[in-house]
Amino acid sequence: MMAARGSGRRGAGSGGARGPDPQEEPPPPLQAVLVADSFNRRFFPVSKDRPRVLLPLANVAMIDYTLEFLTATGVEETFVFCCWKSSEIKEHLHKSKWCRHTSPNKVRIVTSDLYRSLGDVLRDVDAKSLVRSDFLLVSGDVVSNINVSAALEEHRLRRKLDKNVSVMTMIFKESSPGHRARCQEDDIILAMDSTTNRVLHYQRTQELKRFRFPMSLFQSNIETVEVRHDLLDCHISICSPQVAELFTDNFDYQTRDDFVRGLLVNEEVLGNQIHMHVTAEEYGARVSNLLMYEAVCSDIIRRWVYPMTPEINFTDDETQSYTHSKHNIYRGAEVSLGHGSVLDENVLIGQGTVIGSNCSITNSVIGQNCKIGDEVILDGAFLWNGVHAADHVEIRQSIVCDEAEVKEKVKLNPHCVLTSQVVVGPNITLPEGTVISLHSPDEEEEDDDEFSDDSGVNKEENKVKLKGYNKAEVGSEGRGYLWKADDENEADEEEQRQSLWGPTLNPEEESETESDLSLGSEQPDSRTASPQLDDIKVFQNEVLGTLQRGEEENISCANLVLEINSLKYAYNIGLKEVMQVLSKVVMEFPLQQLDTELNPQHYCVMLIPLLKKWSPVFKNYIKRASDHLDALSAIEEFFLEHDGLHTSIAKVLMTFYQLEILAEEMILFWFSQRDTSDKGRQLRKNQQLQKFIQWLKEAEEESSEGDQD
Amino acid sequence: MPGAAEKESELSERIEAFVARLKRGGERLSSEEAARQTVGLLRKIIGHGRWGSAGELMALIRKEGKRMTAAQPSETTVGNMVRRVLKIIREEYGRLHGRSEESDQQESLHKLLTSGGLSEDFNTPYPPLRANVIEAISELLIELEGTTDNIAMQALEHIHSNEVIMTIGYSRTVEAFLKEAARKRKFHVIVAECAPFCQGHEMAVRLSKEEIETTVMSDAAIFAVMSRVNKVIIGTKTILANGALIAVSGTHTLALAAKHHSTPLIVCAPMFKLSPQFPNEEDSFYKFVSPQEVLPFTEGEILSKINVHCPVFDYVPPELITLFISNIGGNAPSYIYRLMSELYHPDDHEL
Repeated sequence: MMAARGSGRRGAGSGGARGPDPQEEPPPPLQAVLVADSFNRRFFPVSKDRPRVLLPLANVAMIDYTLEFLTATGVEETFVFCCWKSSEIKEHLHKSKWCRHTSPNKVRIVTSDLYRSLGDVLRDVDAKSLVRSDFLLVSGDVVSNINVSAALEEHRLRRKLDKNVSVMTMIFKESSPGHRARCQEDDIILAMDSTTNRVLHYQRTQELKRFRFPMSLFQSNIETVEVRHDLLDCHISICSPQVAELFTDNFDYQTRDDFVRGLLVNEEVLGNQIHMHVTAEEYGARVSNLLMYEAVCSDIIRRWVYPMTPEINFTDDETQSYTHSKHNIYRGAEVSLGHGSVLDENVLIGQGTVIGSNCSITNSVIGQNCKIGDEVILDGAFLWNGVHAADHVEIRQSIVCDEAEVKEKVKLNPHCVLTSQVVVGPNITLPEGTVISLHSPDEEEEDDDEFSDDSGVNKEENKVKLKGYNKAEVGSEGRGYLWKADDENEADEEEQRQSLWGPTLNPEEESETESDLSLGSEQPDSRTASPQLDDIKVFQNEVLGTLQRGEEENISCANLVLEINSLKYAYNIGLKEVMQVLSKVVMEFPLQQLDTELNPQHYCVMLIPLLKKWSPVFKNYIKRASDHLDALSAIEEFFLEHDGLHTSIAKVLMTFYQLEILAEEMILFWFSQRDTSDKGRQLRKNQQLQKFIQWLKEAEEESSEGDQD
Repeated sequence: MPGAAEKESELSERIEAFVARLKRGGERLSSEEAARQTVGLLRKIIGHGRWGSAGELMALIRKEGKRMTAAQPSETTVGNMVRRVLKIIREEYGRLHGRSEESDQQESLHKLLTSGGLSEDFNTPYPPLRANVIEAISELLIELEGTTDNIAMQALEHIHSNEVIMTIGYSRTVEAFLKEAARKRKFHVIVAECAPFCQGHEMAVRLSKEEIETTVMSDAAIFAVMSRVNKVIIGTKTILANGALIAVSGTHTLALAAKHHSTPLIVCAPMFKLSPQFPNEEDSFYKFVSPQEVLPFTEGEILSKINVHCPVFDYVPPELITLFISNIGGNAPSYIYRLMSELYHPDDHEL
């Protein structure tokens, strides 16, 4: 079963949604909560100098893309929550067009140093009761041109029809595995009900070779369960105010993943559901690491996010006006290009940049006021503002931050990062994946707890105090510390290093996941392999204990039911299993006290009072027809296991019948079932049972005759 | 004056909203609507803005006009309307200044040479100017509303019975033109679908609803079918100063095929699409949108290895065009320059 099943192209898609129809039934003004903090350190050490949301993506700060997306989609009030470097974000926003009085989207900034996670932010939203109705929840690094009005309408309709059951609609973009905008770190697999778009299971695939789906997923009465691996999480969600309340109620929710998981696991208890909206044509992605930075940046240059293209200048910033010419070359004002220099394709050059002669530039972004020497090769380079690159420099697939300087004849191999004001060179080749920062890696620990919720403050780090710059690493005129790429004793660090660019997807890996997927899908069939069995055993013991205590301490049936229910939730047991376990435990109950040889007569004497006593417990669980059959099959199973007690089956069933726990039709139906084993058939040949059935049949005929009269 | 500040902020909000809408790709804004909205906004600016003399007013209009034009350079009607309004202000000022219309309009080469850069200063304040300009602009708005009908009225002169007409994509003007002709005559329309957006499908549906015999075919078949076609009738986004077109992509192919088969090519376009710009002044005529329609994002891996482009417009050179039908009648491409000088003042070509 390959995951990319049935794309389910949704009719009119964007076209239909764009119709001007805001006049009918005035919905409350749409609000949004923008979390301008990632609460992680994926962009370290780059984000040390600038908060992540202000990092330039095609020369425009990420938060501007997010705000433009929100404004374009019709949001009228946005709450921006900042924590790390909040003053810088504030300053940026005050200068931007979003804080002008003409802006259709009122931006309100909320800052606090106390936020440690998305959960804290939403708890604050709830505490201050900022949202009045459904709102959009995004983080400040989302780039998207999705028009959410269609999804919003679906969401509102769902909430209207099914009073407040659906609390959240997550937005996904279709994109097949292997797409460059899908990094493994954020890859997800989910199960959905394709008729209602309900999310049934949500899981990150991160480094997992096989996936587990709860069996209840396939056992429940949902007819069309779709398992999808062809979706890119846009990290845009339409939330009802309940979401904020739920975060308050569950103080252990930190991230949206916690929330989704918590909600899906407790769906039966809380009755909240999560739905999804899949868009095929529009763009939406979150810049969660440098691999995504590169992918999203080139998507912007290649106009996938139209109309948010560089030459549109949606930020209304005068320094950001570009002209667009063929092969996706964007040039700002006052750009000078030396003789013989070639801009190949997909190049963006910021205002005031001077490029020397005989350069070759392709797939690159160059910021404002950069100085680039002669015979420079830039391929997939991201130079921010004010970068100096001297003659004969070669930069491939790397990021050079603000005002960094690359001296003559320096070569940057792929995946290098030079943070702000670093100087490297001359005459040095940086190996792949080099990270150089002016901040020494040691000082990072000191302010670690200031902004990051990453608990992993690794004390064992080798504390080599770097007094001066290591000339061998950064060149004779260099300034900056090398951030060790492969520091063995720091697992946390290593993970971060790798994901600074992230692993690339290769086809082999993909086929691997494919086979894993099929493995996962086999699981429901092979019941023995189900992990639930252990749980059921534990549950059975617990139920037995409960009943024993109930017998000894004379606990009322209502309380027993309560206890069994809480056990059911504690071990996540389905109703069917509860039924089977309960029947089995009760039937076995006399055997525990009766250590001697099994005697049918004696057994019945002991069992019947118990059944009488606990009949309310049974009645509580046996309601639907299938429950009756489940109970009957459990009883049958018990008798099959205990051959010596065969003769008492009729008496037991009689008792069940008399206590009105089991209905006569169901007993007859069970008896007439053909697909039983040999043993089962033998059991049914039991004389007393035959008699009992005969008696039941007659009784039924009599009663039906009576009805006719 | 109470409420003045409020009105001003409301006005700037509306301008902001219009600019933002243009920036977001217009959201299915038709050219006519763009023109009307621009003129409406400019009228508001003239009505509520703070200005003393015609010179100040023109500077104000230029400033706002520049912003609106820059928001979406491919939407040339916005800039055209700004120029029209500037021309109206010049005329009204001239009238109040006591100059006859004749002397102003007929700027002959001889006059241009002898006048020696004697430019007007527009600094004399005339109280009735505001009312006069607004009245003239209201007339312009009325003119804009009737353009499609005016063009459609000429349909019977160009379409005859049992003709085979070819068109491409969807144009509101062409739709009205063909529908008007269909009321009296029977003819057959072939619509090129205009991939990847396939607006041609919509056109075909609309035409067939009016009982016009319609055939849709792929763009690749244009040349093959051309030999059967009697006339090609198309719409356009913009008419440039040299009589060339910026029209939906695929039009150049169609025009070349028509030329090869000597089939007349008729362009239905209202006057507000006439732009005083020349081709290659800048690259802003070209509009590239998301490549989604050409190669969907879901294709995955291949996208990182190739470049996909999705241009919206074609440049069609004037020599391929037989006739323009505008709301003021039919004209040859070579006559466009003359219309241009009637509509816009030469000083306003560059905003």
